Amino acid sequence: MANFMQNSVVSYACTCGLVNPITKLFFCRHCLKLRCGFCVCHEVDSHFCSNCLENIPSSEAKHKKNCCTNCFNCPCCQHTLSARATMVVVPKKTDDSPKEGEGDGVKAVTKKMYYLSCLGCRWTSRDVGIPDQNVATGAWPENECSYQTRFNALLEYYQAVVLQDKQEKQEYLRRKTPKAHKFPSLTDRTGLTVSMIRRQIGWPDKNTQKAKPVNITPSVATDELEDLPADVFTQPINLRNVSNIQQRHGQPSDQPFTVNKLYPQRRILWIKRSLRCRQCEHNVIKPEYHPTSVKYRIQLFANYHVPDVLLVRSEEVLHAGKSGSIILKLTNPTMHDMSIKIKELPTLSEELEMIEEFKLACKIKENTATSAAAESLKSITSSPSLTSTTLSRQTSLIEDPRIVQQKANVKLNNSELNFVLNQRDDSTEFDEDVQTPREEPEFIIWRKSNKVSIRLPFTTDESLKVGDLVKVGFTMEYTYVNTVTNTPTSHTLSARVFIDAGQILGE
Amino acid sequence: MSHAEHNEIKIMAKAIVCEDCSLIGDITISPGCVIHPSATIIAEAGPIVLGENCIVEEYSTIAFRLPTDNKIDPAVEVRTLNIGANNVFEVGSRVEACHIGEKNVFESKCYVGPCVFVSSGCIIGAGVRLVSEQKLPENTVIYGRNCLQREAIDKHGSQTLQIDFLRKVLPNYHHLRKPNYDPKKMRIAT
Ligand SMILES: [Zn+2]
Ligand SMILES: [Zn+2]
Ligand SMILES: [Zn+2]
Ligand SMILES: [Zn+2]
Repeated sequence: MANFMQNSVVSYACTCGLVNPITKLFFCRHCLKLRCGFCVCHEVDSHFCSNCLENIPSSEAKHKKNCCTNCFNCPCCQHTLSARATMVVVPKKTDDSPKEGEGDGVKAVTKKMYYLSCLGCRWTSRDVGIPDQNVATGAWPENECSYQTRFNALLEYYQAVVLQDKQEKQEYLRRKTPKAHKFPSLTDRTGLTVSMIRRQIGWPDKNTQKAKPVNITPSVATDELEDLPADVFTQPINLRNVSNIQQRHGQPSDQPFTVNKLYPQRRILWIKRSLRCRQCEHNVIKPEYHPTSVKYRIQLFANYHVPDVLLVRSEEVLHAGKSGSIILKLTNPTMHDMSIKIKELPTLSEELEMIEEFKLACKIKENTATSAAAESLKSITSSPSLTSTTLSRQTSLIEDPRIVQQKANVKLNNSELNFVLNQRDDSTEFDEDVQTPREEPEFIIWRKSNKVSIRLPFTTDESLKVGDLVKVGFTMEYTYVNTVTNTPTSHTLSARVFIDAGQILGE
Repeated sequence: MSHAEHNEIKIMAKAIVCEDCSLIGDITISPGCVIHPSATIIAEAGPIVLGENCIVEEYSTIAFRLPTDNKIDPAVEVRTLNIGANNVFEVGSRVEACHIGEKNVFESKCYVGPCVFVSSGCIIGAGVRLVSEQKLPENTVIYGRNCLQREAIDKHGSQTLQIDFLRKVLPNYHHLRKPNYDPKKMRIAT
């Protein structure tokens, strides 16, 4: 956890062979395997605005083009704009002024008016001539670019094209596939919809009116261009009036050239996502629904389950072909004692074997997960479109395991180091009794509650040159008690750990 | 070094100067100014005249430094650094500019080097560092990590509300330095 914000010197190999710091890894409690960002499928749970924390349903979010209706970003520096109130003196309406106040002329009243202002760069909505508003939110004018209608026409056209394409493909598939069963069998009955029956019988879908895209006038290229103004080569350019790349990309519809055409931009929504193991389809991460909550309903981060390895220091100056040692601190994050075994990394052939084994396991999984299972899944989840696109398709997208690219360039001096890592017990910190010293192997330097410091001696490779980074790698076998099942079962799992021990120094 | 050796602090009436700020050199503080505790003003190369209604916040430093080679050319007349009215020096700012006009805001933790000429209505954003020799035109806003510049079209709000508030609150919690200088009386005396 010490390396949460910076590059970590300790990294773990995921089951797929990619190397990540422990803070970026997850642990599937059902497969008992490490998972990285590529080994989980990412699903959007909810959309929300990070400024006003309003939760926006996904259909509405799509309709609003994934933008918040109330919050704006500064077009100048992309900071959040805040509404500011000013008191403005406005003349009273002309209807009632002649009746009462003929004697003292035009009466004036103060009125609260709002404008948008950026606290970062002091940009205000007055800079581009947006009039002040009576209400703080909701009434800000939409800046529509000049070719909005053309854009809408194109959008409509291409949506129709996509629809037509889809229908034709469906029609083709229906004609091509032989009719397997005229009548649905009893086992198939779960999750059968009317449209599926129709499809099975061979009738066309009821709601398919042949979508025909309306014709649009295609754009025509022209070579008639306006000449550059004469002073473009002679007048010095004032860079303050020219918008920068970031500002133009922030306003993609018209990409203004000058800063006086920068308009407040609606704030883009953020998402909460849940992560699902690609092998077993169990959730690995599931956030709480409400945007204000930063907690999780399911949080299987690797550092809650896998012993955390920390590099304390490197003991000796490192030379090629000489021995060195590093001091590591291991922490047991679980509520069960772990016995740990540190040994050499698997050889290449062993690694290939592991990959084959893993692939085989995936294949068995895939075969058992027949289409029937997928069908039943479909009926469980309410929206069929979601399951068909996310679940059934992504199971086949399991990240192909590969050989770990990171290579260790040291040999461990001991073939095995065995020790026990005590369970985590938050109350031991308050215990007063001194721990009874017990027989410890000599490589253990220090031990307190669930933490252990060990010395790991190794010999660096002869081939290393001055300035090369010494990579210590080892396989850490640890016992893990699985509490998902009714009776806790103990497993021996292993993780491949890589540590940057420092550079080779010259003589 | 002649000016830094003796402190000559002139505080005019209606200025709020907290006792535990450090003022070094020949400094004149005009009416309406608010100097917070732990602020530092160093008049090393010549006198500093702080204009009316300036706010100097905590841990901010205004310095009129000697040139880096630490030599004063005796032939050149000693220059006075006249700081205009309505400037705000926010918490932790460090301003060594050679000229400061009116209505500037130096935001928190910014640094303005000695070769910078600050005109009027400028805003130096939080954390911005200006080191090289430059002249900031009026209404310049410098913001962000990359010190981007823009020109403020709309004038930024005045600090009168803040000044009034500070003038009310600060005397309740801090010992103040007493005003010791009245330009009218001085005129009569001479
Ligand atoms: Zn992975
Ligand atoms: Zn919002
Ligand atoms: Zn801004
Ligand atoms: Zn899994």
